[in-house]
Amino acid sequence: MQPINRMRTEFLSKSANESFARVVAASFAAQADPSIEVLADIRTAVSEAVTNAIIHGYGDEEGTVVLTCVLYPDLIEITVEDFGKGIEDVEQARTPLFTTRPDLERTGMGFTVMETFMDSLEVESKVGQGTRIRMTKHLKSR
Amino acid sequence: MDVRFKRDGNSLVVMIEGEIDHHTASRIRERIDSKFLMEPVKNMVLDLSRVTFMDSAGIGLILGRMNRVKLIGGSMVIRKPRPEIQRILRMSGIKELIELDA
Repeated sequence: MQPINRMRTEFLSKSANESFARVVAASFAAQADPSIEVLADIRTAVSEAVTNAIIHGYGDEEGTVVLTCVLYPDLIEITVEDFGKGIEDVEQARTPLFTTRPDLERTGMGFTVMETFMDSLEVESKVGQGTRIRMTKHLKSR
Repeated sequence: MDVRFKRDGNSLVVMIEGEIDHHTASRIRERIDSKFLMEPVKNMVLDLSRVTFMDSAGIGLILGRMNRVKLIGGSMVIRKPRPEIQRILRMSGIKELIELDA
């Protein structure tokens, strides 16, 4: 399938950029004229992925988060990448309610939200190198 | 993001306006917790009618406040969440724990 359009943006791992990232991703997806519900799902999933990169990828350090969106005729592919600590055990991290940061009132629901609100989710991570989350969402009613 | 308060008998009504994510949640948490300590109330009503976005940071915020309210034997109600907020409330299972006043 040939992409129709593509965008890539990078920003510092500051929590203020969580809203920036989800608005940018939803604005990009909006050109395909999806439903309001689909746009809301994309906003929420991107917010979770970017928050993960900021809190777990970089923690107290500052780094770069890269958001890439590729638009296909009826699908959007969204990638959120950090170059931080990485996740030792991805399966455990994806377990609902598992969190390493209960002190921040994190619920361990981030990956569950992404899985529920998007149509597919892949997580690649290497300790010391970073994490890449790739998600897809159908934009038209199937 | 804005948080406003109103006392209604034995309840603190918390009106949150704007977006709840990891960035805003810590400020919202601090404001609610300090107000809840100061007021002679035991129950909390979280009015979400003006919340335009919420991710799992909002679920953490709500559960954290629920635990504080329960510690002093109070109860908590979530009031009027918008449809897109109801979706994440439903998937989190929070609706089984907290009364929802739609």
